[in-house]
Amino acid sequence: MINVSELSKTYKGVTVVNIPALQIAKGESFGLVGNNGAGKTTFFRMILDLIRPSTGYVMSEGSDVSKSEDWKYYTGSFLDESFLIDYLTPDEYFEFLASLHEYSSGDLKEYLAQFEELFNDEIIGKKKYIRDLSKGNQKKVGIVAALMGQPEIILLDEPFANLDPSTQIRLKNLLKKWKEENQLTMLISSHDLNHVTDVCERIVLLEKGEIKQDIATSDSTLKDLEAYFAAY
Amino acid sequence: MISTLISLNWKEKFRSPVWAKNLLANIFLAFAALMLLFYAVALGFVLSFGLDEFFPDKDPIDLINGLLVYYFFVEFFLRFFLQNVPILSIQPFLHLPVRKSKIIHFMLRKSQLSVFNLLAFLIFTPFAFAKIGVEYGMYTGFMWWIMIIGLMFTVHFKTMYFKKRLNDIPNLFLIMLVTIAGIAALDYYGILTLSAVSALIFNCVLDIPPLASIAILGWLITYRMNFVYLKNNTYPEELTTNKANNKIAGEFAFLKRFGRIGELIALELKLILRHKRPRTALIMSGVLLLYGLVFYPQEVYREMDWFFLLIGIFVTGIFFINHGQFLLSWEGGYFDFVLIRRTSYRQYFEAKYYMFVAAATIAFVLSLGYGFFGLKIILFNLAAYLFNIGINIPFVMRIAMYSPKKIDLSKGAAFNYEGVGAAQFLIALPVLLLPYVIYGPMVAIGQDILGLCLVSLVGLVGFLFRDKTIDYLTNSFIKNRHKIAAGFRAQ
Repeated sequence: MINVSELSKTYKGVTVVNIPALQIAKGESFGLVGNNGAGKTTFFRMILDLIRPSTGYVMSEGSDVSKSEDWKYYTGSFLDESFLIDYLTPDEYFEFLASLHEYSSGDLKEYLAQFEELFNDEIIGKKKYIRDLSKGNQKKVGIVAALMGQPEIILLDEPFANLDPSTQIRLKNLLKKWKEENQLTMLISSHDLNHVTDVCERIVLLEKGEIKQDIATSDSTLKDLEAYFAAY
Repeated sequence: MISTLISLNWKEKFRSPVWAKNLLANIFLAFAALMLLFYAVALGFVLSFGLDEFFPDKDPIDLINGLLVYYFFVEFFLRFFLQNVPILSIQPFLHLPVRKSKIIHFMLRKSQLSVFNLLAFLIFTPFAFAKIGVEYGMYTGFMWWIMIIGLMFTVHFKTMYFKKRLNDIPNLFLIMLVTIAGIAALDYYGILTLSAVSALIFNCVLDIPPLASIAILGWLITYRMNFVYLKNNTYPEELTTNKANNKIAGEFAFLKRFGRIGELIALELKLILRHKRPRTALIMSGVLLLYGLVFYPQEVYREMDWFFLLIGIFVTGIFFINHGQFLLSWEGGYFDFVLIRRTSYRQYFEAKYYMFVAAATIAFVLSLGYGFFGLKIILFNLAAYLFNIGINIPFVMRIAMYSPKKIDLSKGAAFNYEGVGAAQFLIALPVLLLPYVIYGPMVAIGQDILGLCLVSLVGLVGFLFRDKTIDYLTNSFIKNRHKIAAGFRAQ
């Protein structure tokens, strides 16, 4: 599904990402962990063609993301607030995206109905611009928007941060369910080792831009990771 | 403490991304400010030494005292629209162990260092000493000068207070306008001569100089008013001037009929209508439609009508010149989303292009009314319109892609040079001059109608090849997209 080759990004002589090779298979749930500055977000941005790699390339379904725009049509993503149009209301934002995904208004209603619990009656039908929502609610809007249109791949940067405990748990279950039902390839970066080991089958640990560990999640993974970061 | 605050203030100014990245705009602004101050100084000297020549039969001191009220009214309005009150800059200090009153005092005192406070100082200082001082004695001149300074700061703090109260009392501005209109009407119909009142008041100071202390008192009182108000209202959400209002403007459902391009245009229209700065640009475009009225009715201009083409370019094109020069900057806040969303880049540029064409078309249709001043004007506007949609719009769009700067949409329009870079300085000239490259030589050989037809033809050809130009725009965007996105992210 995603094939990374010789990928690196250098800013003024400092290499922030350097991944010689990495494959992510279809339907895999891929967790990226690492301290601040490890290059997680830069890596995700290169997958989304938001940053030009210094060397190498990212292939998505066999085509280079920086050369073709095809990936846009099956990739959902939410990295930060700059993915939201903050002068729209959440309803307008969803409608706008729905029109890009060629949803009818019925489709949209049906789609949003699944998230009723997640939204907690604070988002839909409120006359409030996205910029006036709390960080947590903005995040909910972004994640729900990213899942729209039955994407085959989804990228989320720190999806659990800023969310309340109930929502974190709901989101976790939701992601698991979506993955099972839709063969979703999931790329998640998180500082929350607990959640990420729970959701992801594969954990990649990034340190100063390089892959230090690439492990299939098992019962001991959480302990191992905690030990690693404590000793860092 | 105070010195720390001062140093923080300097850092805020010089480290702001807008300052560093917009060096050109800053130089331009500094130059404009210098010019303004120079004019103020010059005006000050004219008032002191030149008034006798212009109004030989009037006493210059009487005259100036009579005009002072008007002057302070004008200053009030100038400040009201242009002066920024940096109240929000106290926000990062609110949770720190610093006394609130200390911060507020500092902010209020610092605000007195505004350029606007130099204006009255420069204009009236020479007059106070060289004129009043000479005629009434230095003591009186000095006291008159004190009064001017006092009034100036009174107006300064009054405006500040007024602007803040505007949030609590929405009709305040209306009340003020009505009051001033009322006074102006009374003045106009000679019921109450404002200049006489003004002269009466200010001449008192010449007779009894200590009365000038009233102005100083006004200064202190208005300062205190601001202080007390701020002290009681230092909650950031109450201080912001743009409160979240619960009105959601504009739906543009009809645009959905045009498919994805229509959706993108509707989005852009929402952007325009929901933010002060782009909205101001739009309103300006409406006002500029009337620009022709300045020139068309005048015989003088009609004899040299070759420059009507320029007016045509303005009248039909001001929207895309105003809005299009910041093409991508408007969306700098969510540019990453623009790149990853499910639209092709081509559709993105198509939407923008057709929005500008639609705006130009509307302006052209409205400008048909100018046919009243002669059918040739319609021909001018038609040529300008076709040239705009065929050549100028793609041209502006291309130039705007040259290292665009992010615009913070939450800020107002006055004195806002955010987003202005070298490209924005470059845009106006070619847009206005390009048509003359074709039209100019034809006028020179006396074939001006043919020249207009040629301009129209070039524009029309450009429009017919719009698919090619949009392709070109898209490709240049694709080449630069990472650089542009990185630039927006860094700001």
